[in-house]
Amino acid sequence: MSRKRLFWPALAFALVLLAAGCDEAPKEAASSGESGGAQGGLNIAVVTHGQASDPFWSVVKNGVDAAAKDTGNTVNYQAPQTFDMVEMSRLIDAAVAGKPDGLVISIPDAKALSGSIKKAVDAGIPVISMNSGSDTYKELGVLTHIGQTEFEAGLGGGERMAAAGVKNAVCVNQEVGNAALDLRCEGFTESMTKAGGKVKVLAVNLADPTDAQQRISAGLGDADGVFTLGPTGATPALAALKADNKLGQVKLATFDLSPEVLQSIADGEVLFAIDQQQYLQGYMPIVFLTQYKKYGVVPTGVVQTGPAFVEKANAAQVIDLSKEGIR
Amino acid sequence: MSEGTRDGTPLLEVDNLTKYFGTVIAIKDISMSVRAGEVMCVLGDNGAGKSTLIKTLSGVHQPSEGRYLIEGEEVRLSSPRDALSRGIATVYQDLAMIPLLSIWRNFFLGSEPTRGWGPWRRFDVDFAQRTAREELQKMGIDIRDTAQPVGTLSGGERQSVAIARAVYFGAKVLILDEPTSALGVKQAGVVLRYIVQARARGLGVIFITHNPHHAYPVGDRFTILNRGRSYGTFNKAELSRDELVQMMAGGKELEELGHELDEFARAEGESEEAQALRSAAHVLEEEAKG
Amino acid sequence: MAVTEAPPGPQADERVRRAGLLRRLLARPELGAVAGAILVWVFFALVAGNRGFLTLDGTASYLAVASELGILAVAVSLLMIAGEFDLSIGSIIGASGMVIAMLNIEYGWPLWAAIVMAIAFSLVAGFLNGLVVVWTRLPSFIVTLASLFIFRGLTIGITRLVTGRTQLGGIDTDAPVVSWLFGGEIGRFSVSIVWWLALAALATWVLLRTRVGNWIFGAGGAPDASRNLGVPVNRLKIGLFMTTAFSACLVAILQVVNFGGADVLRGTGQEFQAIIAVVIGGTLLTGGYGSAIGAVFGALIFGMVRQGIVITGVNADWFQVFLGAMLIVAVLVNNYIRKKAAEAKR
Repeated sequence: MSRKRLFWPALAFALVLLAAGCDEAPKEAASSGESGGAQGGLNIAVVTHGQASDPFWSVVKNGVDAAAKDTGNTVNYQAPQTFDMVEMSRLIDAAVAGKPDGLVISIPDAKALSGSIKKAVDAGIPVISMNSGSDTYKELGVLTHIGQTEFEAGLGGGERMAAAGVKNAVCVNQEVGNAALDLRCEGFTESMTKAGGKVKVLAVNLADPTDAQQRISAGLGDADGVFTLGPTGATPALAALKADNKLGQVKLATFDLSPEVLQSIADGEVLFAIDQQQYLQGYMPIVFLTQYKKYGVVPTGVVQTGPAFVEKANAAQVIDLSKEGIR
Repeated sequence: MSEGTRDGTPLLEVDNLTKYFGTVIAIKDISMSVRAGEVMCVLGDNGAGKSTLIKTLSGVHQPSEGRYLIEGEEVRLSSPRDALSRGIATVYQDLAMIPLLSIWRNFFLGSEPTRGWGPWRRFDVDFAQRTAREELQKMGIDIRDTAQPVGTLSGGERQSVAIARAVYFGAKVLILDEPTSALGVKQAGVVLRYIVQARARGLGVIFITHNPHHAYPVGDRFTILNRGRSYGTFNKAELSRDELVQMMAGGKELEELGHELDEFARAEGESEEAQALRSAAHVLEEEAKG
Repeated sequence: MAVTEAPPGPQADERVRRAGLLRRLLARPELGAVAGAILVWVFFALVAGNRGFLTLDGTASYLAVASELGILAVAVSLLMIAGEFDLSIGSIIGASGMVIAMLNIEYGWPLWAAIVMAIAFSLVAGFLNGLVVVWTRLPSFIVTLASLFIFRGLTIGITRLVTGRTQLGGIDTDAPVVSWLFGGEIGRFSVSIVWWLALAALATWVLLRTRVGNWIFGAGGAPDASRNLGVPVNRLKIGLFMTTAFSACLVAILQVVNFGGADVLRGTGQEFQAIIAVVIGGTLLTGGYGSAIGAVFGALIFGMVRQGIVITGVNADWFQVFLGAMLIVAVLVNNYIRKKAAEAKR
């Protein structure tokens, strides 16, 4: 008897949960589109491979939300729970089924996602890509790409390092074979060699930071510059330099920002960090889609959001913005 | 029905059967047999060794000493499956029935009838449903729909399905482990009827129980176990019901217990408790007298 | 000879026929899952109907999700009815996918050969799972939990060792037979749906119309007794573990062929989702009772909720909350219906 009595309240509870979850939708949508510009009223879906809980991607989402507000559009942000292309393509399919006015995606694996992207394009939905996929977006029918191309970013980094007087640099690559990372080192190498210096690529597994630190120390040799491809590389590199007492002689620069990296720049320990300004990667696609829908205008190539350089001079400002989730 | 003694070799016979578990003597020098169309009751209180005996007879344990003969031929059973294949079917208290599964599926578990060849070999569902119903009817059970889960049957009906199953699959000897112990009076009566039916169909039945009142009506011969040993085997003719109860229930001990309770009652005076004790004492004394 | 009553007259038979169909329906373990599927469909049709849930695209998208989980759920349902769990199928998905990708990309094997190798690998993995469970008599929950970690660890470790990466992409999936069997679509519907339904039909036939199916019920409901009655319980269980491992491999094959690559982390968590789909479908956690068709509907509910949430516009993270709530509701509903069915017989 008690089982039976329990049944209906339990069912009701669960249904209330379900309904509550659905309440989220209009609320979320509303917040993205209440005040703001007169135009808009568009329904845009954003599917990326980065969860909003990830510090890098939360900045992107902030950009997306700000753009939604400014343009008066309704934007729906979805990302898979783990880096899983199968999940991501399902999310794209679901988004496309809702016939949005525009679709924004990242393309970490063009082959895996090509099916879903083609379906969107064939359905007549304008698609803009961001963050990854700068060399594959065109053939998929995507209108434009907003992000930082790896090679050019590496190139810029190399130029800066050479200008700072580095002649012999080490490029620390944690995943040799990962196309994006390889391109960063290649760009770096090209501009360094052009300036008369030389570069050695050091493959280091960053899973264990202590181990990584040892390897970097060991691989330094007589280099006077170290270039890492992200904060996970910068941290052990910095530790290695400090341990070997080489901070003054060897210059360290890295890709991407983190609170630790920013602080080190302010303290003068790190030369510069390359900021790909991912806030714009979230913001601009929404704006472009709005204009495309209205007038049919859209940039025709890759819109570069980086490399922007954070150095001692502007570190303080960036630190403040980073706390707000803008950089 | 007659007392069911037929001439000829016993279907199952054990001679000085003994089983040790380490230093524990579970059963020692048990000799008994059962013939076709006969019910042999094995009686004993808890701890008498009934469970070890039944497991040895059914092939779960191998005897430490003694001989085990099936139809006059000495055998050494390796497993319950081995026993089953020789016609020794054991129905345990837990019945080996899956409550949520239908009667016909339970009936044919392990021996499913099939039709067809190779990959198209399938379970002959029609045959199974029909046959299950027929066999149960032969035992006097009318179940309208054998697709009902076995769990919807009463305890007595479930026992009868188990017995019917054993009979159908060609059991020559049916060993029943306390079939009536968990049942009410009416249900127990139903099961006892089925035991009689099995005997009537020519099986030898070994009926293991601790309840002499159930055993006496259906038994032809009685073996009584106490603390792992046997008091012997008695024909019905040699033993009255009261004598059986006496031997089993340890009548003397009951009478003493009755006197003790009387003592307590006297000490308590005229309270309700005293009344209860006195009536309990009275019952026990009656029981002891048979 | 036997003391029987007269056989039942026509009056009794008529009674049976009338109550028969309804009672029989109520008694089916799938009923809860079918009802649930209809409920969920109606719910999303109302809430998200105008946002694409009812379109061909929307339907195709949730059927695709349902089919991948469904392939696993159908195999897992058979195993769970037999009383065992397989927690390692997620890891076997990752491992099988990697086997195909590595053989094809690193060693240049033709795609079909790599696929055959992956199938062989998964069958061995399932065999080992079953063997250890049967030999050690440890609960399968524990054994397959261990193999979950072992297989996943091996996948990550070996892939890193050989390739230095954790994802392999760029497989040429245009191989003729392979892409016809595993890739592509029929109209807008993924071919995995065909595999799902075919396997479900096969599993149902085995479960309800063959000896092996009866053995599965027996092994789950009363393993010792079944063994005594002649059911080869050990061989059966090993075979069922091989079946679940194979289903995991099939999912991996479909993913690799459709997405052109593999990832060491693919399949993480799928084992629990499969178990949930099976339980929603009416199978008891304790074994001995259940249905493969129910698992089909369980997977369908799953797919509808998964994609329905996104189509509705809710953040996909909320899916996990719904999953838990759904599970409890499903089990409650199933128990309720089962009780009703048992009462109806009296």
